[in-house]
Amino acid sequence: MARIAAFESRPRFFESRAFVSTTAVLLFLIFWEIAPRLHWIDGTFTSEPSRVIAATLEILRGGDLLRDVSISLLEFTLGMIFAILIGVPIGLLLGTFQTLRYLLDPPVMALYATPQLALLPIFVVWLGIGVGSKMAVVFVGGVIPIIVNSIAGVREVDRSLVLAARSFCASQKDVFAKVIFPGSLPAVMIGIRLGISRGVLGVIVAEMYVSQSGIGNEIMKYGSAFRVDYLLVYVILVSVFGFTATTAVRALEERLRA
Amino acid sequence: MKNAIQRSAPVTLGIASFVIILVIWELLVRVGWANPFFTSQPSAIASALARQIRTGELLRNFLVSFREFVMGFSAAVVVGLVLGVVAGWYRVIEYILDPFIWFLYSAPLIAFYPIFVIRLGLGSGTVIAISFLLSVTPIAVNTLTGMKNINPSLILAARSFGARPHDLLWKVALPASVPMIVAGLRLGVGRALTGVIIAELFVASSGLGYSISYNGQLLRTTNMFASLIVIVALGVACTQSLSALEARFDSWRTSPGV
Repeated sequence: MARIAAFESRPRFFESRAFVSTTAVLLFLIFWEIAPRLHWIDGTFTSEPSRVIAATLEILRGGDLLRDVSISLLEFTLGMIFAILIGVPIGLLLGTFQTLRYLLDPPVMALYATPQLALLPIFVVWLGIGVGSKMAVVFVGGVIPIIVNSIAGVREVDRSLVLAARSFCASQKDVFAKVIFPGSLPAVMIGIRLGISRGVLGVIVAEMYVSQSGIGNEIMKYGSAFRVDYLLVYVILVSVFGFTATTAVRALEERLRA
Repeated sequence: MKNAIQRSAPVTLGIASFVIILVIWELLVRVGWANPFFTSQPSAIASALARQIRTGELLRNFLVSFREFVMGFSAAVVVGLVLGVVAGWYRVIEYILDPFIWFLYSAPLIAFYPIFVIRLGLGSGTVIAISFLLSVTPIAVNTLTGMKNINPSLILAARSFGARPHDLLWKVALPASVPMIVAGLRLGVGRALTGVIIAELFVASSGLGYSISYNGQLLRTTNMFASLIVIVALGVACTQSLSALEARFDSWRTSPGV
C-alpha cells in the first residue's frame, strides 16, 4: 500500500527501521559466513566475515596502516582544500556576473558531464606517479561540482532580498558579503558534498592506477593476489570514511538551511 | 536590435569561449611557452582525430565504450527503477535494502575488479558490471525518495475516487516521482560513464578509457587528448539527451511543486 505518514499506526518495534535493517545485515553476515562452509558458494572469491575480522586485526597489528592512511588522507585533503578555495570564489563570481557566466559556463558544463577520472592518465604524464597526480584528480573531481553548485546557489538567492538591501543603501560589497554569499552557502555545501564523494573515489582509483603507497595501493596489491579478506578491510575503511565525511557535510548543510 | 544581441549572447559567448581556449592553447605552444610533448596542441589533436577517423580506430574505440555504457546503464535503469519502486511501496523492503544500498553507494567498487575478471573475463563483461554497479544506486535511491515524498493529498484524493493499488502506482506515484527519477537518471548517467572509463583503465584492451591509458604509457599526449575529446562529447551528448527526455516526460506538470 502506498504510504501516508499521517494515517499510519504507531510503529511497532519489530517494524522499526533500526530492527529491520540490523536484522537484514545480521542475516546477510550469517549467510556469508556459512555459505562457503556448506559449499553453496566458492569462498575463495567471497571470503567470510570471520576472516575479514582476522584480517582487520592483522592489518592493525602491522605498522603500515597509519602510513597508508596518512598518505591517502594527505592527497585527498590537499586536493579538496584547493578545490574549495578555487571553486567557491569562481562559482560565486560566475553566478554574479552574467557575461562571465556565458563565457565560462560551456567549458565548465562540458567538464561536469565528463568522467573527470578520464584525465587521470594525463595527470600521471604531467605530474608523475607521486602525490601530485592524485591531488590533481581529487582537485578536478571536486572543483567542477563545487563551481556548478555555487553558480546555482547565487542564482537561487531571493532577488527581493538583494533589492531590499540595495534600497537601504547597501554597497555592492555589502550585498555580496551579507546577502548573496550567505544565501548561496547551502548550495555551495551540496557542491562540496558531491566533490567529496568524487574525490574519495578519485584518490582510490588514482592510487590503484599507479602509486607506491596509500590505501588504493594496498587495494591493488591484495586485489591482484585475490586476498579478498584484506581487500574488504580497506574497501570498508574507505566506505566508512566517505560515508562519514558526506554525512557530516550534509548535517552542516541542514544547519545552514535552518 | 539590442534584444537580439542579448538573446544570442549565451550562444555567441559560449562558442567564443571554446575558440579562445583553443587559440590560446595553440599560441602557447607555437610561441614556445608550453611544451607540446606534454600539452600537445589543438592542430595536432585535430589531425590525430582525422587520422583515427580514417583508420576506423576512433569508431572502434567509441563503439566499444558506448556499447558497454548502454548495457551497463540500461541494466541499472531497469534494476534501479524496480528496486526503487518496490522499496518505495513496501516499507519493510526499504529498511532491508537500505544498509546495502548505502554501502554500494559509498564503496569504491572498482576495488573488486579482480574478482569480476575471474567471472567475466578481462574486457567488456567486467566493464559493464562495474558501470552497472556504480549507476544502479543513485537511480534506486532517487526513485525511492521520489515515491516517499509524494504529496499525501494526491493519494487520498485518488483513493476517495476508488483508485485501486495499481492505479495509485501508475497514475499517481510514478508520474509524481518523475522529477526525482530523472535526477537519479542524470546522476546514473554520469556514474555509468565514470564506471566505463575507470574500468577500462584497468581491464580493457579497447575502448576510449583504454586508449587514454595505453597512449599515456607511450607518452603520446596528442592521442590521449583526442580520446579525451571524444569522451567529453559523449558525456555532453548523454546529458543533453536526458534534458530532452526530462522536458518530454514532465510536460504535463502545469505548476511547480505538487
